[in-house]
Amino acid sequence: MPPRLRLIALRQFPTRPALQFRIQLQRRFTSSSAAPPEIYDVACVGGGPAGLSLLTGLRNSKITSGLKVALIEGQDLHKNRLPKHASLDGFSNRCSSLTPASVKNLEEIGAWSHASRPRIQPYQEMQPTTIAYMIENTNITTTLLSRLSELGGVDIFSPQKVDSISLGTETPSLDLSSWPIIALSSGKTLAARLLVGADGANSPVRTFAGIPSRGFDYNRHGVVASLKLSGPGWGGPDHKIAYQRFLPTGPIAMLPLPGNSASLVWSTTPERAAVLKSLPEHDFVAMVNAGFRLSVTDLEHLHTMPSGQVEEVAWREKATPIDARSIPQPVTAVQSGTVASFPLKLRHADTYTGERVALVGDAAHTIHPLAGQGLNQGQGDAAALVSTIEQAVLTGQDIGSVLALEGYNSERYAANNAMLGVCDKLHRLYSVESGPVVGLRSWGLKAVDAMGPLKGFFMSRAAGGA
Amino acid sequence: MAPARLSKSLLGSFRATSLRPATARQQCCYHSYEYTQPPPFPPAESAILSAAISHVPSYGFTSNALKLGARDAGYLDVSTNLLPRGVFDLINYHLVTQRLALKDSVQFPPQDQPGTGKKLGVGAKALAIMAQPSYVPTSVAELARLADEIWFLAGDASVDTSWYTKRASLSAIYSATEVFMTQDRSKNFAETEQFLDARLEDVMKVGGFLGAFGEWMNYTGHSAVNVLRSKGVRI
Repeated sequence: MPPRLRLIALRQFPTRPALQFRIQLQRRFTSSSAAPPEIYDVACVGGGPAGLSLLTGLRNSKITSGLKVALIEGQDLHKNRLPKHASLDGFSNRCSSLTPASVKNLEEIGAWSHASRPRIQPYQEMQPTTIAYMIENTNITTTLLSRLSELGGVDIFSPQKVDSISLGTETPSLDLSSWPIIALSSGKTLAARLLVGADGANSPVRTFAGIPSRGFDYNRHGVVASLKLSGPGWGGPDHKIAYQRFLPTGPIAMLPLPGNSASLVWSTTPERAAVLKSLPEHDFVAMVNAGFRLSVTDLEHLHTMPSGQVEEVAWREKATPIDARSIPQPVTAVQSGTVASFPLKLRHADTYTGERVALVGDAAHTIHPLAGQGLNQGQGDAAALVSTIEQAVLTGQDIGSVLALEGYNSERYAANNAMLGVCDKLHRLYSVESGPVVGLRSWGLKAVDAMGPLKGFFMSRAAGGA
Repeated sequence: MAPARLSKSLLGSFRATSLRPATARQQCCYHSYEYTQPPPFPPAESAILSAAISHVPSYGFTSNALKLGARDAGYLDVSTNLLPRGVFDLINYHLVTQRLALKDSVQFPPQDQPGTGKKLGVGAKALAIMAQPSYVPTSVAELARLADEIWFLAGDASVDTSWYTKRASLSAIYSATEVFMTQDRSKNFAETEQFLDARLEDVMKVGGFLGAFGEWMNYTGHSAVNVLRSKGVRI
């Protein structure tokens, strides 16, 4: 059949055979595919904290609860849920610090009451940032999934991979030529009025939309681990403190978790990250303690030792004056299997919106973790996109149109760009080892400590909700 | 009137090159595998200079070495007049032949073994002669050709502005090292080697910094435009 169709086409349009051939091919394709795509108002690719927060927000709002929404996630969402009565002895190594603004947003969409509270650690002091809540990422996703299943009405495709995203075709009854069609690994196809990319740093949705993402690699790795300390912290169980020390290779941060637990994020060079990961557990513990206590030169030497850091650190600590209460309590153990690392980079998409496409979370921006702002930016994106969609529904606009989505990009882009820039400059300020910048740095440190403009910036971001 | 003067002088130099006798060596000013370079010196000059070089170890870069070389090659002492610049021509010959021989002597060792470097220097007195004002242009040109040769042999195929910066930085390092070498009394010029390594490291640092700075500027420029666009500015 197809050859004859093509011949007819050639006869009808002798001057433009190539174009007509293409259209015929497409028609053949649509007529032979099993079923027309199922049409959704919002299809969200990626079931991480940002995507789930967006869908929960949409379902929670009276204005947008009429929209037909779908969630596509490559991993099994229910298998990765936090068990209801999980032991408080072990914590995931993937933790985030939720700012009060993010928590307020979770409260507004009715999710916060579903969170496993014993596993969340609010903290009151941080040098040099501010008050926030330490929470495991699985706890956030489980919380949001619980709220979503309470609200209902979301078609969840999980675990299902996105095979391809392409533009639809025009048929006599339906014109989907500007609509993204998502083909799933199960063979099902969805057409989305608005396709939301919450699919991480290597976002396929962003690639489909042709939005460039710019930035650079820091040539640093973040080493994470779940730790046990010798006590609940200097302030006791009710007054927790987060610590961050800026080393020339990058900041080392110890963030409090419930009980005697803590979460480590150590930004360092890839070579040193490899050394740290290869160490036996007791030597790794000694290195973390050294990271907060010993001098930069001592640390440099310790990284060259294949093992035996325990004795070396104990010996060197005797010769180093330490104000014990200004640094975290000594680490006694590391939860086995939790030492991992990931490369640090800065990326920012040129825009968050396109025709029938919006990006949220890591798909739009990747940030240096030194201020713990990545997940909060995603939560802010989700909240802003929900209100933009609400506005479009209220005014009867097509929620996928560039015009309707413009507000989202204008609300979030500059704010995220400022946060990316501040963290980038902080990283640069602290990673220089010589020259006039060192003098500038001690000035910068004083400024931050003395509630300078930077601390004010973080404070306003954390609490104000922007 | 500066532009006119510039164009006049350019024209002048163009005329000078085009009026050269046909026997003048036609030189290709870039490296090509399709094209073999003619010998850099005419046969008579080449014979005298190559013979003279063998006397340099005992007589230095002096007119005596030149005269002895002429005799060895079967020419009269007066035939050193073929070389109007005298001793400088001898130094120049040494530099050119050493540069051209570089490609035969350079070997890239396996990754983990230290390379066997080739020392190419002329000494304090020769440097003093090369620095005489009338010889400076030729000396500098030879230095540039050497830097070019080294980058070519190192496999550099860049076609952007780094072509110039690479050659400029290498020339600077080379000449600085050579000056250092004239004062170096250490065994086997060990201090010169240290000096050279330190200078090369400097360049790597500066290059790395400039590269990262360019990347950062590119990002910052784009993000400034993107922020304005997100606020509705049509650019």
